[in-house]
Amino acid sequence: MIELNDISKIYRIGDEEIRALDSVSMRVKEGEFVSITGSSGSGKSTMMHIIGCLDTADEGVYLLDGQSIEHYSENELAMIRNQKIGFIFQSFNLIARLTLEENVGLPLVYRGVSASLRRERVGAAMEQVGLANRMKHTPNSISGGQQQRAAIARALVTEPAMILADEPTGNLDSKTGESIMKLFRNLNAAGKTIVLITHDDHIAQQTGRTIRLMDGRIESMGRTGVAAVNGPIAADTGGGGTDGVNNDSAVF
Amino acid sequence: MIVQSFKMAWKSIAANKIRAFLTMLGIIIGVMSLVVLVSLVTSATSSVTSQIESMGSDMLTVSVRDDKGLPLRLADLSDIAQDESISMIAPTTQTMGSVKSGSETTEVSVEGTNASYFQIQGDELASGRLLKSADLENTSYVAVLSNEAAVEIYGTADATGQTMVMNGSKFLVVGVLAEDDSLMASIGNMYSIYIPYTVAERLADSSSGISSFYAAASDPEYTDRAEAAIEAALLSRFKNDEDSFYILNQSVLAETMSSVTNTFALLLGGIAAISLLVGGIGIMNIMLVSVTERTREIGIRKAIGANKRVILLQFLVEALMICLIGCALGIALSGGILLIVNIFTSDTLTFTFSGSVILVAVLFSTFIGVVFGLYPARKAANMHPIDALRYE
Ligand SMILES: Nc1ncnc2c1ncn2[C@@H]1O[C@H](COP(=O)(O)OP(=O)(O)OP(=O)(O)O)[C@@H](O)[C@H]1O
Ligand SMILES: [Mg+2]
Repeated sequence: MIELNDISKIYRIGDEEIRALDSVSMRVKEGEFVSITGSSGSGKSTMMHIIGCLDTADEGVYLLDGQSIEHYSENELAMIRNQKIGFIFQSFNLIARLTLEENVGLPLVYRGVSASLRRERVGAAMEQVGLANRMKHTPNSISGGQQQRAAIARALVTEPAMILADEPTGNLDSKTGESIMKLFRNLNAAGKTIVLITHDDHIAQQTGRTIRLMDGRIESMGRTGVAAVNGPIAADTGGGGTDGVNNDSAVF
Repeated sequence: MIVQSFKMAWKSIAANKIRAFLTMLGIIIGVMSLVVLVSLVTSATSSVTSQIESMGSDMLTVSVRDDKGLPLRLADLSDIAQDESISMIAPTTQTMGSVKSGSETTEVSVEGTNASYFQIQGDELASGRLLKSADLENTSYVAVLSNEAAVEIYGTADATGQTMVMNGSKFLVVGVLAEDDSLMASIGNMYSIYIPYTVAERLADSSSGISSFYAAASDPEYTDRAEAAIEAALLSRFKNDEDSFYILNQSVLAETMSSVTNTFALLLGGIAAISLLVGGIGIMNIMLVSVTERTREIGIRKAIGANKRVILLQFLVEALMICLIGCALGIALSGGILLIVNIFTSDTLTFTFSGSVILVAVLFSTFIGVVFGLYPARKAANMHPIDALRYE
């Protein structure tokens, strides 16, 4: 489903060149629950943005469902985001002046879904995250955990094949975070592909597989986040010849 | 999608009412001044031109400057009146007179004329009768008084039957005209007295002939033909000397009048339009601030699938909506102002909306909304999703 081949993202500030991602290759199969960890600045968000078609790589090829997205226009990328991907952010990113119902229904508006069908689907998504009785509330009249649930409902409402979450529990206390994780596990059990970014090893352990990033390079790819600190690892990438770790990456 | 854009735009305007109102203020004031100024001018114009027309757009005023020793007589006028394009003709001479009533003397303007005069001028009787052709034939010393003159001299408009002494001659007052509340009457404010042309000629004690006369066309459409007929008659009479007489065509006067005021309306409208333009710049300014403030929102919208066109439309519609709401408020306010102005002006002048200026105001506001909304909207649409999401 997701296939990154030698992807690099380079930022230039003045003369300095920052490789936020440096020849990263990896795969995520349909139905997987993958976590991405790594220290701050290691390129986790950058990677998620590329996977989510919010940004494009400077080098390498990204295949989404077997299709290279390289030559898509900005508008086509917007359509892919709308149809295939559900985003969840650390800071929830709900629009403050809209009600939860309107926030959750927004992706469907951009998809051109009729108001009546929209109401139905928003109702179902809100039900799924346990917020069916908060439809008319605005984001700042509910708790952080509830806001993140609403954001998840917004990601689910379009019934995307894949959910990308950038530190979804980062702004929540551990108990609320736990309940959000439970929601993710249920979604994964129901067949959704989930890629989750986290700092928290405890959270990472709850996922099927952990990819650890370090200075824009993949440091390890293994089950349940228990990764070797040094040395090459046979990466479990679900098959394919190009995957693996560039072990000669520790140049920084 | 368009409907959704309008809903979104409305929500963001409603979420920030005070700011939206302040943004609109420029448009409100601009539209208000445009509509009020142009409506005032066009109302005044149409009032003045209708006054001119009520005096008869079918009326011609002819003045003779030089009769080449061949003075124009009443009989000549009857000859000219034979032309089928001319329905009536009335000679006039104007002199000053003083009327004695008791110990007081009133200065009056004495008009020597005939029965047609009143019809051409559209004057109506309050009491008694008008001049008759018999009065001219018999050189009867009778007089018709304007309402103001009757009130001034006799203290009442009901002066029919009174005897009046003017410049030492005795006149019988046979009729009093109805009050004339037209604008023109209030401009040429004089106490007018009308006597038979023949009497005026005799009193003037000179037989210099008719120096001026009014003619009415049998139909307003024939005014130009009547003018030509009179011109032809007078040319042959005055040895083809074009400068010996002058014909004033009332309809030409009305046209000139309205062309002058149209220019005036255009000028005032232009000034108001500039203030609308300034209002538009204000809208652009606030929209730019709004786009920057909502950078994160734009990022969110893009992340969940909004494409450039949709974002562009949302902000463009928002600018347009602000403009059009401002325009509607401006029109409503100017309606109020015109109402107030009407309370304080005389009944002869009523100020009403000029329909075309409202159309212009709406079109111009739309234009401004689109032109000044486009740049901020494009700025929003062209934001990179990641940069927008990162924005704090
Ligand atoms: N717009 C940008 N311009 C310049 N450098 C950037 C930009 N965006 C990211 N970077 C750099 O790329 C690197 C990776 O950033 P990224 O946001 O992916 O890190 P992260 O792993 O998500 O960190 P965190 O855990 O703090 O969110 C960082 O060194 C960062 O400074
Ligand atoms: Mg990050």
